[in-house]
Amino acid sequence: MIPHRFLVPHPRLPARVAASAVLALVCAAGAVRAQEPVDPFANPGAVTATPGQSGHGSRRDTSDAIQNRYRQILAAWAAGQTEKAAIDLMALESSVVRDDDSGSRKRILKAEEAVIHEIGAANLETLVPVAMLHHDVYRRYLQHGTKGHALLLIHARGMARDLAILYKEQSGSEGAALVSSRILTSLGGMLQQYAQQLPAAEMFYQAVTLDPRNTAAMMSLCIIYEKNSQYETAVEMLHKILALDPGYSEAQLRLALNQKRLGRTDEARKGLEQLAAAKEATWVTSLAAQELARLLSEKGSLAGAQKVLEAAIQRFPDEARLYVELAAVLDRKGEMRGAQAVMAKVLTLKPSTQDSSRLLYNTTRQETFAEARRFLDENARSRLSLLAEALSVPNHATIAADKVGS
Amino acid sequence: MRRLLLRNLACLAAGALLLAPAAARAAGVQIESPVEGATVFGKTEVKAQVFEGAEPVTRVEVYVNGKLVGTVAKPPYTLLFEAGDENIQRELKVVAYGASGVAGSATRVFKPLQIDDTMDLKLQQLFITVNRGQERALDLDQGDFRIADNGKQQQIVTFGKGELPLTAVLLLDTSESMQGERLQGVRRGATAFLQGMKPLDEAAVVMFSDRLLQLTPFSEDKSVLAHALATTQAAGGTAVNDFLYMSLKLLEPRLGRRVVVLLSDGDDVHSVVPMSEVLWKSRTGQAMIYWIQLEGGEKHHSFASAWRNAKDNDKEYDTLAKAVLESGGRIQRIDKVAEIESAFRGILQELREQYVIGYYPTDVRKDGRWHDVRVDVQRFGVRVRTRDGYVDF
Repeated sequence: MIPHRFLVPHPRLPARVAASAVLALVCAAGAVRAQEPVDPFANPGAVTATPGQSGHGSRRDTSDAIQNRYRQILAAWAAGQTEKAAIDLMALESSVVRDDDSGSRKRILKAEEAVIHEIGAANLETLVPVAMLHHDVYRRYLQHGTKGHALLLIHARGMARDLAILYKEQSGSEGAALVSSRILTSLGGMLQQYAQQLPAAEMFYQAVTLDPRNTAAMMSLCIIYEKNSQYETAVEMLHKILALDPGYSEAQLRLALNQKRLGRTDEARKGLEQLAAAKEATWVTSLAAQELARLLSEKGSLAGAQKVLEAAIQRFPDEARLYVELAAVLDRKGEMRGAQAVMAKVLTLKPSTQDSSRLLYNTTRQETFAEARRFLDENARSRLSLLAEALSVPNHATIAADKVGS
Repeated sequence: MRRLLLRNLACLAAGALLLAPAAARAAGVQIESPVEGATVFGKTEVKAQVFEGAEPVTRVEVYVNGKLVGTVAKPPYTLLFEAGDENIQRELKVVAYGASGVAGSATRVFKPLQIDDTMDLKLQQLFITVNRGQERALDLDQGDFRIADNGKQQQIVTFGKGELPLTAVLLLDTSESMQGERLQGVRRGATAFLQGMKPLDEAAVVMFSDRLLQLTPFSEDKSVLAHALATTQAAGGTAVNDFLYMSLKLLEPRLGRRVVVLLSDGDDVHSVVPMSEVLWKSRTGQAMIYWIQLEGGEKHHSFASAWRNAKDNDKEYDTLAKAVLESGGRIQRIDKVAEIESAFRGILQELREQYVIGYYPTDVRKDGRWHDVRVDVQRFGVRVRTRDGYVDF
């Protein structure tokens, strides 16, 4: 049975608080403007709902119409018509929800909730594909841009998140926790992509709570900790990640750099030396060399820094930054001519076409979430038949609409 | 490298010519440039004064080592020619002709450069912008200036007004945020700067983000530089410190007037070199830094990254501003892309209107200490801007 508290704000993460936080961020960015009455997402298939519409009967009719449309959309989703279902849901929601009408979200929420209540009661597993539909719609809203769609964004994300949490709470199984955790991880990844650090952190935190082995969420959370100068917390998280995956080189690098920031330079140096000497020449290796040289330089070992950088240039001969850093070290040593010779080599380099290691370090890359999204797709697909089955049972709204029609 | 050094030494010498005592006047002809003792390499400008005698001058011919390199038919008697890169003695002869034949001539001999001697040169050059209200004060003479180095008055040995050739690095932020209209604006602005360059001026174009996207060698060839501007696309983050350090290093072996024009719409995020080291590099060199801050507004916005917290980023920003102002350059904040072009033009104009003063510091110790430089102008109501000093290195 679906509990009465369905879609009631989660005790750890009150939906309204999260929603208002996002709205505040959007407003602060100047994204919310006075809205034109015409909704850019509207299409002929949408349900029209006028804000402030009065009369008990008309509200009921509108709610039933929304429920029917929502059922059709879910049926399309269950039939594998993913593109159509997502576009239709966007049209439906955007015909109802308007940023200048704070009550408009409640209307769509109640109608969708009613449908989900019924199909969830039929089979709890249907919540997974429904969550994924809202997850997909959220991604599409983000791609369209937040301007004028703050409530829609909040609604779509809130639906995906609350369905994930509900599914886990009702199921109680370890598998449900894995699925829910990954939905939240993916949502967090999307938030981070659009520079919404705080709501992203909340998503990742919940994802880790649901699945303490979710290293993608842990690493994403760790990057946010770093950006907020919470180095001690980041180190704790990184130790946990490395306990789960000792060969995770990016985690090793972050651990060393956070140790350095905390003044634990001996530990940091040891870690960086190992990474800089690693066989594989990746961005982590290059960055470890840069930071090791920096650490040595700060400690006064300019000769040591020079040695590290010269070795790194052998491995990464096209990285201009390594030459610049080496020139700076040589300048500090008073070897101006040597520094000039290094700079002369920079003039021979080809322009770089790849993101630098330093940019990669400062970014949560979307590849981090690829595994989570693949996992979710598979899980949602395997439950589509269950959703179709649940939708085939006649429902209250359809019966009511039929009666009105007759 | 040797060629670069030689060219720059020639530039330095060219700067000195402006105050050099007049050469002995040959009958009817006086060579003004290159001055006595200058080193002649590469593209060289010859300037001559011809004093007409009984008949008008019909043409002036210029010979180098007996070979005719050009003819000028009417005043001003100025000729640009390619002297070549060989480090040899050159005899320059300027011959003026009237209707009836040779009217007068002047000859000057230029010796080969003694490279080891010139490396010890410690001439401090100051590039000084003087304003009177909103206008540039262009009517000053050497006698109007007083130079104090660590409080001690210095003897001015060279004095000029802006026409000294310049070597510029156009350091252009080409990060992702610069895509589209902004990049177009940058291209237009940088092109305007390049188009305004005069013969003997040189520039390099550096386009950067979190990585090096484009780097040209120093060149007078505007088409090479324009090609680099046109073909580079914006991508990535921002690493101002690293590439400003690189630009200052590229300018280091060059002499004469050196300038970095940095255009950026953001703060440094991804550099490995801290701004404190860039400041040190700037203090040990003589390059001026101009910073065109696109949509910078009046206030810097704090931010945190995985590399630095907000406080440290603020410090980096402040140190960059300090480096710019200490170098004798300035920060120009602009709010619209359309203003980029005029910002570049304004900087070039300012460089052309600077006074160039050289002196040999009386207290050089090579001890790495800071020398405070103060320039006073003995005129009422003028504002003077030049570098704050240098590190004795």
